Amino acid sequence: MGKYLDIFVGWFGYRLDDWALLTFGTILNILVVVLPVLLAVAMIVWVDRKVWAAIHLRKGPNIVGPFGLLQSFADGLKVFLKETIIPAGANKFLFLLAPALSLIFGLVGWAVIPFGEGVVISDLNVGILYLFAVSSLAVYGIIIAGWASNSRYAFLGAMRSAAQMVSYEVSIGFVLVCVLMCVGSLNLTDVVLAQKNVLFGVNGYFFSGLFPMFIIFFISALAETNRTPFDLPEAEEEIVAGFQIEYSSMSMALFYLGEYANIILMCGMMSILFFGGWLPPFDWEPLYAVPGVIWLFTKMFFFFFCFAWVKMTVPRYRYDQLMRLGWKVFLPISLVWVVLTSGYLVFFGRLAS
Amino acid sequence: MNEIFPNLAVAYGEIFLGIGAMALLMIGVFKKDSVNLVSWLSAIFLVVALFLTVAGTGDVTYTFNNMFVADKFTNFMKILVLVAATLAVIMSREFFRLEGDDRFEFPVLMVLSTLGMMVMVSANDLMTLYMGIELQSLALYVLAAFKRDSERSTEAGLKYFVLGALSSGILLYGCSLVYGFIGSTNFSAISMAVSNMGEGGAPVGAIVGLVFVLAGLAFKVSAVPFHMWTPDVYEGSQTPVTAFFAVAPKVAALALLSRTLYVPFGEMSASWGQVVIFMSVASMILGSFAAIMQSNIKRLMAYSSIGHVGFALLGLIAGNAEGLRGVMIYMAIYLVMNVGMFVCIMCMRRKEEGMVEDIKELSGLGRNHPALALAISIFMFSLAGVPPLAGFFAKWYVIIPIVNAGYFTLATIAVLASVVGAYYYIRIVKIMYFDEPVEEFVAQKSFPMKIIATLSAVLVLAFIVPQISSPVLDGATAAAQGLSQK
Amino acid sequence: MVTAITFYIFATILVGSAIMVVFSKNPVHSVLFLILAFFNAAGLFVLLGAEFVAMILVIVYVGAVAVMFLFVVMMLDINFTELRKGVQDYLPIGLLIGFILLAEMVIIAGGWTMTDGIATAMTTATPPASEVTNTDAIGRVLYTDYIFLFQLAGLILLVAMIGAIVLTHRKRDGVKKQNIGDQVRRRRSDAYEAVDVKPGSGI
Repeated sequence: MGKYLDIFVGWFGYRLDDWALLTFGTILNILVVVLPVLLAVAMIVWVDRKVWAAIHLRKGPNIVGPFGLLQSFADGLKVFLKETIIPAGANKFLFLLAPALSLIFGLVGWAVIPFGEGVVISDLNVGILYLFAVSSLAVYGIIIAGWASNSRYAFLGAMRSAAQMVSYEVSIGFVLVCVLMCVGSLNLTDVVLAQKNVLFGVNGYFFSGLFPMFIIFFISALAETNRTPFDLPEAEEEIVAGFQIEYSSMSMALFYLGEYANIILMCGMMSILFFGGWLPPFDWEPLYAVPGVIWLFTKMFFFFFCFAWVKMTVPRYRYDQLMRLGWKVFLPISLVWVVLTSGYLVFFGRLAS
Repeated sequence: MNEIFPNLAVAYGEIFLGIGAMALLMIGVFKKDSVNLVSWLSAIFLVVALFLTVAGTGDVTYTFNNMFVADKFTNFMKILVLVAATLAVIMSREFFRLEGDDRFEFPVLMVLSTLGMMVMVSANDLMTLYMGIELQSLALYVLAAFKRDSERSTEAGLKYFVLGALSSGILLYGCSLVYGFIGSTNFSAISMAVSNMGEGGAPVGAIVGLVFVLAGLAFKVSAVPFHMWTPDVYEGSQTPVTAFFAVAPKVAALALLSRTLYVPFGEMSASWGQVVIFMSVASMILGSFAAIMQSNIKRLMAYSSIGHVGFALLGLIAGNAEGLRGVMIYMAIYLVMNVGMFVCIMCMRRKEEGMVEDIKELSGLGRNHPALALAISIFMFSLAGVPPLAGFFAKWYVIIPIVNAGYFTLATIAVLASVVGAYYYIRIVKIMYFDEPVEEFVAQKSFPMKIIATLSAVLVLAFIVPQISSPVLDGATAAAQGLSQK
Repeated sequence: MVTAITFYIFATILVGSAIMVVFSKNPVHSVLFLILAFFNAAGLFVLLGAEFVAMILVIVYVGAVAVMFLFVVMMLDINFTELRKGVQDYLPIGLLIGFILLAEMVIIAGGWTMTDGIATAMTTATPPASEVTNTDAIGRVLYTDYIFLFQLAGLILLVAMIGAIVLTHRKRDGVKKQNIGDQVRRRRSDAYEAVDVKPGSGI
């Protein structure tokens, strides 16, 4: 993003010394990514509710602003004006830290998401591992919230969440291994570029032998983000609202922001890992005229639609079923797929050196 | 050094066992009621691994980036380990058939532990040494605690685990010191570095490291002062597990100890000699005196094994091929005697009480079960080292090199210790033949058990016949020469 | 300079949180400080240019191991004042052993000499960092030079797993288990039968 910095220097007319420039530029880059993400979260909540409404055959939010577009901001404002209640037996510091952590872990993952070739805050060599690490950290917000609330329901939710996320991380890990074996690099830009013209002019691993891995990744992503059918940590009917039960006003809003930021991040991961990120769906010259960011956002939007769609159509899993699916179905399948993929790559000499 | 594909041929036995163990697990998990099948397959796999090991040429071969070595010495020791493991698997099969609590994991863990022992025997690097020991001991911890509803078994497992972890820590500390001061973990490289250090000798750090490594290994062979776990673990574990403990891991650990002392630290024998002398003398004395007070036959065997390790260590003190040969012969004979004795202990079973372990229960065995009593007497005399039996030759071949090397005091202590030891071995014979009979044991019907007991008794008796003893003696001679030359 | 500042920030927080792991009164706080320590250690690795190790540290220790710690510590109701009683009694002997060990370390380290050329060997990576990423370098070492140890480590983990199952898994009777295969295989004809019943006759 050096050129943005040059422009910046141009605006202000004087040179900062190197490290100050670097720090300043990085902060600017981060803002350029994070603010739209937060805005996107607000809008995507609206989309979510509209999709649910459509499935329920009702209208959904339509009062605030045109088509109800400003509904989320109205909600935000309302929540902001309410009082933050901290339970008497709660551990105050951790109680307030938890929602902040939840949001932070939802946002830091964006640091390595490439929006186009070279358009990325940090082009890490180990981008996939970084994303994996960040997504495995999301559980801390929930565990800490559950424990700090000093409430049975919250604690049950936290325990469920911890077990669930740890279980599904395992299969996500093996899915990632499959992808990165095909790519031969852990860098996300390389991952996208490797998906150019995978099969008959189509961009994206989704259309190759990695299709089953995408299915597993999608379902595991639902579990990682605590979305239905795996929303046991907050199951309203069983443990009221799980880890969120004691939270109110902004602290709860932060959980919401974090959850949706995580969901969009997962959508971004799916687009990048399996659908060729910013590449157009077909390797056909005129399609490249459309900016890559548009392609990426379209794909992410599609996956988000799938998330909303699943939420309204699939009933919640029982806990033993959830564990069975993770450990006895996904883990063996993804392990076998790692073996098959590596076997294929070695046998046909496709292994990237 | 950076060979892309390692020479697998010398490790076929290990590779076969590793893959075999996983196959056995699959069979055990997916096939209902497959305990019998898995047990017999484990025994067969161990025998196949034995053949794969014997098939090796015996030339000194390094592989896996020089971390693994195969030569005549490793072949000899691996044969002992595999024979012991096979017999233990067969014995455990018979035991669990009577005792119930049959689980297929038992033989699989034995196979994996044996694999660890083979790695220990073949280790040519401090890292391989540690990995072998860990694989071996981790499986043994589980085996010790296998009867999880029994307090004694759980205690045995826990005690073994905690002390084992401590000794692993000591060993690793020593390894890191050696690596830090010598600059390599590879045995060949350490050996070269040590001999290059000249008259000033090795740095203090390396010597301290060596002592720590020695302490860690002493724990695995249960030499005094690192023997505390032995009686409790032997007593608490189920009898076939004890039989396994008493033989296979000791053989492997002694093989590892010999290689560690002779190959990388051969030039530092002045440093480790005193430590080994102390361990040897202390083990012999403690093994002899502490055993006198024991009333439980398995505890008695535990102290007996401590004493025997003391004798075996004598051979290492001599520091030459002759002494090493003595160690190898000692372990071979020790294996036969112990396996035979433990088969007899497993025969101590009554209808109502199940297994009994008290020495008093043997009273009058000479009248109730003359054959069993005869077998036990043979093993007892042999363990005591009474002349025409194998146990005598075992002691002979370790004491002679010591005398030749000029350690007369040491030899005297060894002879005296064996005289004291003879007291408690022969006391058992007295109890069997001259005490009032108690209730009879259930007659042993199992064919494999009878075969093992008879065969080992015959071997113990017939060791004096040159045709029977010469393969062991010749094999040990060749192997010892190979190792001590380096 | 930025690197130096970052290093000191990471290192200070690392040491501080490590001390807090030992000294905090609440075990949950201890685990949380442990996590903080892991993070800062990962930061130090990044500064060294070992980003692979840094990420693995976060994934394995923070993402999995510490979650399990937290899980257990939160579930258990540990009385820590009770546990601390023992510490007071053993403190003198513990300090003595610690002091002896320290003295030994000092004596040993006194005899420590660097091999010639070690300083250059330490600063140059093998293979050179400009040619391969450190993920690649670790892979080469692990899967060619140390493949034997790598496989052995796998077997050790297998034994650990078998051991955990053998010692703890119990088959309980009377537990209703869902058999997904049976459920999926169930057909309409297994569940009900349509009978044409004539009026007034019954079945």
